[in-house]
Amino acid sequence: MSGLNLRMLPKVRDSWSFLYVERCRIDQEDRAIALHDQSGTTPVPCASLNLLMLGPGTTITHAAVRSLAESGTTILWTGESGVRLYAQGLGETRSALRLLHQARLCSNPALRLNVVRRMYAVRFPEPLASDLTLRQIRGKEGIRVREAYARASRETGVTWQGRAYRRDDWRAADPVNRALSAANSCLYGICHAAILAAGYSPGLGFIHTGKLLSFVYDIADLYKADLTVPLAFQAARDNDDGLETRVRRLCRDMFKEQRLLARIVDDIDRVLDIGDLPPATELDEDAGALGALWDPDAGEIASGVNYADLPDDELDGAEP
Amino acid sequence: MTVIVLERVPTSLRGELTRWMLEVQTGVFVGTLSALVRDLLWEYVCERLRNGAGALIYQTNSEQGFAIRTCGPTSRRLRDFDGLQLIQIPM
Repeated sequence: MSGLNLRMLPKVRDSWSFLYVERCRIDQEDRAIALHDQSGTTPVPCASLNLLMLGPGTTITHAAVRSLAESGTTILWTGESGVRLYAQGLGETRSALRLLHQARLCSNPALRLNVVRRMYAVRFPEPLASDLTLRQIRGKEGIRVREAYARASRETGVTWQGRAYRRDDWRAADPVNRALSAANSCLYGICHAAILAAGYSPGLGFIHTGKLLSFVYDIADLYKADLTVPLAFQAARDNDDGLETRVRRLCRDMFKEQRLLARIVDDIDRVLDIGDLPPATELDEDAGALGALWDPDAGEIASGVNYADLPDDELDGAEP
Repeated sequence: MTVIVLERVPTSLRGELTRWMLEVQTGVFVGTLSALVRDLLWEYVCERLRNGAGALIYQTNSEQGFAIRTCGPTSRRLRDFDGLQLIQIPM
């Protein structure tokens, strides 16, 4: 459906969290998306889907990508089992409002520090003393994470010898580390999709910096100790068969149970203190609508107007 | 809400089902059943399909909000993607 009204799409909160596929061909079929492999054709209701993770051996057509983009499904190209991220698609808003807000906070050190403090504050049940330095907060956070691992290890009886994985050899890691990587990668995917869907940039991080996914790591860290750490230990306690698949299944149930999709955009808005947003903008109803032009005095002026056609006195009037 | 869809099944089985559910169209049954009744009824249906086939759809507290079960040789196949149920049309 071209010219699709974005308000017809389920919000992040109402959609299905993710679909991971591998070794199949994805193309447009009867104006929807379908997976093709040797055994048959599987249509995918992509408007209901938040995130499509493409594993190894997937081929996707141009028409399918267009449909997915129109329905606001984020596409991620990932490694085996959804671990590692290679590339991303497009999210569910055409308005740059949140992105501009994020960029402003990110480029002003004082505002940025406020965001960092808010991000840390949501992880602790008790308020953070205002005289704590960032260094002290990082120390507190380190203790909190260590305790989360220790607690999960105690509760499940899985021994914990520290976070260790080899980037070049997935199988070399112990089961709990592999489960952690798989669960975190799922969580990164959801955070990434939510960030894109809301119209933020995954690259403008606050705590993390320097990578194109810095903001994804910032947001995922809000949830790791509560969500993926206990889940990974639970998955690693049982036998090793199909560990990664089992982790993804547990992730889906846990995302549902913890209402992650319902919370995540609000949580991001809250740590960035976005305040009241105007309701849906024209851009969300018509992806082809024109944006505005920036003006130092007026803020925004209409685009799509040839300003050479305006009478000279109006042009002069714009000068201070 | 529970939905049962049956194809090529004995009329007696359809008649039996209408004691619990409404037959909205031929072979399409809708009703509000407790989990226990639904499971027993589905077991009963599966035993008496003969050469027919059926699908059961019911509301659950999963991410999709519903779950699907099938029995007998249906023209579609149920596939599970890490807990997400999709329908495959076999080659």
